[in-house]
Amino acid sequence: MTATEAERALDASVRVELYRTMVLCRAFEDAILREYHADKKPVFDIGAGLVPGEMHLSSGQEPVAAGVCAHLTADDALTATHRPHHLAIAHGADLRKLAAEIFGRETGFGRGRGGHMHLFDPATHFSCSGIIAEGYPPALGQAFAFKRQGTDRIAVAVTGEGAANQGAFHESLNLAALWNLPVVFVVEDNDWGISVPRKTSTAIPSNAERAAGYGMQGVRIEDNDVEAVYEAAARAVARARAGEGPSLIEVHTVRLLGHFEGDAQGYRDDMAGIESRDPIPRYEKTLSDAGLLDDAEASRIREEADAKVEDAITFAKDSPEPDPATASSYVFA
Amino acid sequence: MTVMETQSTDTAGTRRLTTAKAMVEGIAQEMERDPSVVYLGEDVGKYGGIFSSTAGLLDRFGEDRVLDTPISETAFIGLAIGAAVEGMRPIAELMFVDFFGVCMDQIYNHMAKIHYESGGAVKVPMVLTTAVGGGYSDAAQHSQCLWGTFAHLPGMKVVIPSTPHDAKGLIVSAIRDDNPVVYMFHKGVMGLPWMAKNPRATDVVPEEPYEVPIGKARIAREGSDITVVSVSLSVHHALDVADRLAADGGIEAEVVDLRSLKPLDRDAILTSVAKTGRLVVVDEDYLSYGLSGEVVATITDVDPGMLRAPVERVAVPDVPLPYARSLETAVLPTRDRIEEAIHRVVKG
Amino acid sequence: MTDVPFPAVADKGPGSEGVVATWFVRDGDSVVADQLLAEVQVDKVAVEVPAPAAGTIRLLVPEEAVVTQGAVIARIE
Repeated sequence: MTATEAERALDASVRVELYRTMVLCRAFEDAILREYHADKKPVFDIGAGLVPGEMHLSSGQEPVAAGVCAHLTADDALTATHRPHHLAIAHGADLRKLAAEIFGRETGFGRGRGGHMHLFDPATHFSCSGIIAEGYPPALGQAFAFKRQGTDRIAVAVTGEGAANQGAFHESLNLAALWNLPVVFVVEDNDWGISVPRKTSTAIPSNAERAAGYGMQGVRIEDNDVEAVYEAAARAVARARAGEGPSLIEVHTVRLLGHFEGDAQGYRDDMAGIESRDPIPRYEKTLSDAGLLDDAEASRIREEADAKVEDAITFAKDSPEPDPATASSYVFA
Repeated sequence: MTVMETQSTDTAGTRRLTTAKAMVEGIAQEMERDPSVVYLGEDVGKYGGIFSSTAGLLDRFGEDRVLDTPISETAFIGLAIGAAVEGMRPIAELMFVDFFGVCMDQIYNHMAKIHYESGGAVKVPMVLTTAVGGGYSDAAQHSQCLWGTFAHLPGMKVVIPSTPHDAKGLIVSAIRDDNPVVYMFHKGVMGLPWMAKNPRATDVVPEEPYEVPIGKARIAREGSDITVVSVSLSVHHALDVADRLAADGGIEAEVVDLRSLKPLDRDAILTSVAKTGRLVVVDEDYLSYGLSGEVVATITDVDPGMLRAPVERVAVPDVPLPYARSLETAVLPTRDRIEEAIHRVVKG
Repeated sequence: MTDVPFPAVADKGPGSEGVVATWFVRDGDSVVADQLLAEVQVDKVAVEVPAPAAGTIRLLVPEEAVVTQGAVIARIE
């Protein structure tokens, strides 16, 4: 159950920080969107340009990243999906190394070997995978290690609503509950598993219901509400840190762009007026109405974000490409 | 550089173990030494492992270190990966290698690739143990070897002990290795009381911990007339045949036990075939697109002129392993098939 | 001299038969107390046989031969 406006006692500073995080995530995705398409003209060629390959941008899903990661430190683990940038950024990944890896440079997180879907940041225990739902099991292992090491560190595992129908999801929920692991499972329900709407992939309306079936608490957040995500995550994270085991948060969010860049989205019937669902202008208005944010401050926040992002992009573009002679390096330690 | 080891002595009073017990001893000694070593899998606790891979470990180390899992290979192998990433040295057991279908993504797309994808920043120091092999009528879904499949995919080491000595030394090496190591133990070499066994399944095993190097083959038997390259249970069959041929036919076969498929000791293969000029490969995995072809390519990539006769590959044909004993025996690389192949290559 | 009997295995009746599945020592070996001598099997249950004493061991039954529980399978001199 989400609290009403009146009941919420979120600090002004927390609220503005949530906004700032979302803006930084969006600024990064906007820049990658620009860079990705810049050299794939006149006809879209997926393998061309400085950022080749598939690109899955998270624009619209920032409330999940901001609301959850506000409760994490760099010592907590987070596993994400093929759509990882907002989570990496909100969790504190270095923007330069992130950008450099997306550009396939030697200075990237993976020395150019992983790319945008396979980001590994040991400093923040962040990782992501391009295989649907398969980020859940390793998060269990990170939580397992943290627990045995006697810490209150936790692991957050994020997937999409489509992944909730993959075997790894179900196995992971059961095992985490059975072994009382300090995990927070997050499901980003953006309505679409590529082109298939949730209604035609999932037998029940909410994955929060499935949580109970696996012996844990589950909650579903509607309306991409960053503050509701923040509050639900506070409870789930506290529960995990206190040794009370895993829980699940599903967030009904929005995928503003295609599944991947180049996706014409002809299958999509919710594009009319989709801009009105953009969570960032909506939250800006919320904060403005509350007297916490004026236009000047909002502009300043965006400019700061853009500056950081452009610095990262420039760093990436100026970085060397990996030497082909080293293609087989780092297979084994 | 190949290694010739005297693995069997007749010294009275020297301690002998089955392959299974040697494997367990290696694990136990590492668990004593390193508290971050845990063993998880199905029926590894009280049961001691379906093929005795963990017998006695629960009693000695408790439920905190020897963990029975639900039937959730994706989840618990993935869990081992995450634990390894965070500094532990877990051992996860895939009960039968044939079950890899339900969890291969965690194995080949995650366990094996994380180190590379992270540019070396993240290590996955775990061991994946698994039982392989047939010959006791367990049919198509419970009798496979599949080491060719695992060795084919980049990023994981693959070791396959055939003797008690190597079973202990390789599990110790695997646990200490900072890379993911797939440790494949053939049910027929374990020396289990409830399955037909080769006398070589019991042998002298040093009591102290020791490592057998990963990536180095062993010359199980020296010879000058023909090289027989093999792995796992087939090494024992090859040795039985070699003994018979030396006694009856005057053929001296050199038997090479590969022990590791990844890394593969290509030098050992080349050195032996350079000496004998004749090669038979014995491989209980499927014939096509696998280990036996890789051994042959090792020679032909370097110098096909080394071979005085075509190579014979004694492998399981591209057929699901049959249930009926007469059919299963017909497809396995039996002693008779090995001996016939040696005769043909020696004559050829 | 110490007899080494085929042990009673789980809740099998006293007349149950089994086999010595594996001898871990050879006839004439010197053994120490508690050293692993054999693994025996009745139906599906396997049991290890440790040496009850130190000395020279004489094996009285071969592997795979059928033995009744309680029968002497080795002697330590």
